[in-house]
Order: sequence, then C-alpha cells, then structure tokens
Amino acid sequence: MEKILRFDFIENKDLLTVVIIIFSILIFATLLFFVIGKLKPQAKLDELKARTKSWWIMAALVLGATLINSTISYIAIALLSFVAFRELYSVLGFRDSDRRAIFWAYVSIPIQYYLAYIEWYGAFIIFIPIVMFLFLPLRMVLKGNTVGIIKSMSSLQWILMLTVFGLSHMAYLLSLPDVDGFSSGGRGLLLFLVFLTEINDVMQFTWGKLFGEHKIVPKVSPNKTWEGFVGGIISTTIIGYFLGFLTPLTDLQVVFVSFILAVSGFCGDIVMSSVKRDIGVKDMGTSIPGHGGILDRIDSLAYTAPAFFHLVYYIAY
Amino acid sequence: MQKLVLQLVYSVVVKAFLRIIVGVKFDNGKFLLNEKQFIIIANHNSHLDTMTILASLPRKLVHKVKPVAAADHFGKTKLKEKLSNYFVNTLLIQRKRDKENPANDPIHRMIHALDNGYSLILFPEGTRGAPEVQQPLKPGVALVLLQRPHIKYVPAFMTGMGKAMPKEDSLIVPFNCRLIYGTPQLISDTEVEPILNRMQQDLTVLQGKLA
Repeated sequence: MEKILRFDFIENKDLLTVVIIIFSILIFATLLFFVIGKLKPQAKLDELKARTKSWWIMAALVLGATLINSTISYIAIALLSFVAFRELYSVLGFRDSDRRAIFWAYVSIPIQYYLAYIEWYGAFIIFIPIVMFLFLPLRMVLKGNTVGIIKSMSSLQWILMLTVFGLSHMAYLLSLPDVDGFSSGGRGLLLFLVFLTEINDVMQFTWGKLFGEHKIVPKVSPNKTWEGFVGGIISTTIIGYFLGFLTPLTDLQVVFVSFILAVSGFCGDIVMSSVKRDIGVKDMGTSIPGHGGILDRIDSLAYTAPAFFHLVYYIAY
Repeated sequence: MQKLVLQLVYSVVVKAFLRIIVGVKFDNGKFLLNEKQFIIIANHNSHLDTMTILASLPRKLVHKVKPVAAADHFGKTKLKEKLSNYFVNTLLIQRKRDKENPANDPIHRMIHALDNGYSLILFPEGTRGAPEVQQPLKPGVALVLLQRPHIKYVPAFMTGMGKAMPKEDSLIVPFNCRLIYGTPQLISDTEVEPILNRMQQDLTVLQGKLA
C-alpha cells in the first residue's frame, strides 16, 4: 500500500502550504458567491458557481494525481493530452482518408509520456517534433488521397505539438533530477506551473471584468483588454514571487519566470480563441461545466508548460 | 446468465470504453424506465451506434432491449449468429418480407419479440452508408407500430460515430461523439408515409440540437 500511496507531501511543509492555500482560495470563492447570491438574488452567478464547482473537482484531481503517486501523475497528464487531442481533432474537420495517420498520432501519446517516464530526455525532445513530423505525412501519402493533404498534414502536426508535446513537458518536470537543498522536487515545480497558470487565467479574467476598457485583440477575443492583461501579469508575478519556495530558483529568477509564464499563458489563450473563432464555436466542448471543453481550460497550459520547463531547465539544471 | 453478462458488458465495460477512449458523451437514458416497452429509432453510421445505445440504457433494461440487425450480415455463419445473439442480444431479421412464412418475415418477427416483452432498437435507414450521411427511412418500423400502436417510439440521434468507426473500416479512431434522445411518443397516424415523415422530423430536430 505504501508503495502506491505516498503521503509524504504532508511532511513536506512547502507542498502542504500550497495545498492549504489552494483549498482556502476555493472555500473563499465558494462562500463569497454563496453570500453574494443570498444578498443579491438578482446577480447572475450561475456561471461563476458552475466554474467554482468545476475548480473544486479539477483541484482535487490535479492534487490527488500529482501529490499522492508520481506514476499516476504521468498517466493522468497523458490522459489529459489524449482528451485534448481528441477534442481538437474532432472539430478541425479531417478527411476520412486521414484516419490511419490520426491513429498513429494517438499511438504517439503513450510513447511520448513513456519517454518522459523513463527520463530519456534526448528522445523525449525529438520524438514529436522530428520522428512524428516525418512519419505522419508519409502515412497520409501512402493512402494516396492528395486533395487537401497539406491542410491535413499541417493541422495534425500542430495539434500534436500543442496538446501532446507541449503538455508532456508537465510530465517531464516530474522526471527532473534532484537538486541539492531543494526538497519539493518535480512535484513542486509542477504544482507551481499549474497553480500559477490557472491563477493567471483567473487574474486576467477578474482584472478584465473589473477595469477592462481598451481591447487588446478585438478581432480575436473581444473580452481581452489591456487592463486585464497588465493587471493579470502584475498579480501573477507577485503571487509567483511568494510561491518561489516551490522552485529551486532565486528570487529574481522566480520573478522573471513568473512574468514569462503570465505572458505565455495569455498567448496560449488567444491562440486557442482564434482557432475557435475560425471554426465558429464558442467553446471547444462540454466536458467541464462552466468552462467549456478540456481545451478551454488548458489552452494556456499548452503554452506555459514548455515555456516554463525550458526556462527552469536552462536556469537550474 | 446472459442477463448478467449483458449488464456487465454494456453498463460497465463498453460504457467505460466508449466514454473514456472513444469520447462518447451520453444522454441520460433513465427516462426509459418510465416506459413499459419502447422502440428506439436511431440514425445509423457505425457499429458503434448499437454499442452506444445499449451502453446508455439503464442497467435494469439492458437485457430487455433487442437491437434489430440484418441476418445476411450478422448471421453469415452459425458462429457469428450465436455470438451476436448472445453478446449483443440481437434480433436477426432478413431484409425482404416473406408473407408466406411468418417465422421468417421481418415484421412478424419484430412483433413477436415485442409480444414477448422485449423492447427494440431499430435503425430505419437500414444500412450504415457513407459516414455522417442520412438516408431515407424504410417503412418496417411504421408497419410494426401500426400493429402495436400502444407502444411508443423513442427517437435517438448520434453524431461522430461514422468518424470514429465508419463502414468498411474496423479500426476505431477516437472522435468526440454525442448521443441524444428525444421524448417517447405514440404514432399519430394510420398510414405509413406520414408516420415516417414524422419520425424523420423528430430525428432532424435532434440533429439540430446537436449542431
């Protein structure tokens, strides 16, 4: 039993602190919306309530998977990639003759995560950008249907890079070697990345709702404003600074990394918005109540995960 | 024994597989518990259609619902026939009517199954056809309902199945699919043609809801 369930995060003060912070925020938000709902019944809080409820479930899943057992975390993140890949593939309109290539793209998901699991960095970093990049178009060509093949080749590689290669960096954080004098390890880094990315989303949303006036990319996403962007980045950077104990970075480095993370989170968000606009849907799916599909929630993670990983990898490893 | 096997297979194994791997989003089939008997009529694109509908049923009903399938396809060999009768609980019929020999006549066989207390799953299009393309409904379902007008039919519509597993290709490639049910209703006419038109309309409404 002890091999499957590791509860040592309870003894690790740093990790425990973050767990307590996360649940405090959730309890605070739940109570806040509950009280506002009682005081002002006319306020439209249904979406916010649904969102908070989904946050509870997501937080429990993420914390459960990352803290209790690291093998389960690899599987959980792989599953996340898989669902995100499927969601995006399902709406992008591939040809029937692409099915074999798509099948191999699905097969690449467990392979990519296995490479992270066995800590084979060299293979992990080239498998999708090189091996799959060369192989998948070939598989389409062998099927013989050339009408629309360029669109299929490029969309497939893009989906794979975004939902599998990008997100798999979260898993590789867990495979990073130990650093002297830094107790939280890969789990701390993963927690830092996910928590800060989601906080950044919430902060950009909140600042935008409260003070938003000047639109930043009106043609892509009318809800994104300069006020939300700047306010979000500043608050995320500050919060990142206080969570620095989860990483092996110095104070200055943490501030820099948090800043880049906030900016790239925003970028991931608007990239996905533009894709949704192109295919004419508001949300990617219906799997998370109040949020839309999986992709609507992890669009920023697809950008922050590789950015954060490579920054930390360069600075501290 | 077959009852237990069917419940285990569809309400647990197939359901988990369809939900997690294939990516099917089910409509809740609980409301079917209120009907004593029913005929589910659905659009047809894939073998996954039958699996999805069976998996969406409340566990108590799984063994009481027979998917109607073509004998020339699923009864090709004795073994295939036995397997599909046991594991899919199929009612195998031939496609052509046979008025001389009621034991062989598809309409008669469906009515017989209804009289034995079973509910049915019917794909009135008759065949899966090209992925995600609907075909005109065949009159069989109307002929059955005209003889048992107290039984309700339940329209069901699925999208994506023909992408996840089309005809002519047995490889399943996960694709986000949906299943949605309409409200159960009685036939409101005594002619075949208007009944089919009404059913087609019901299906189109469901399709619109998913778009």
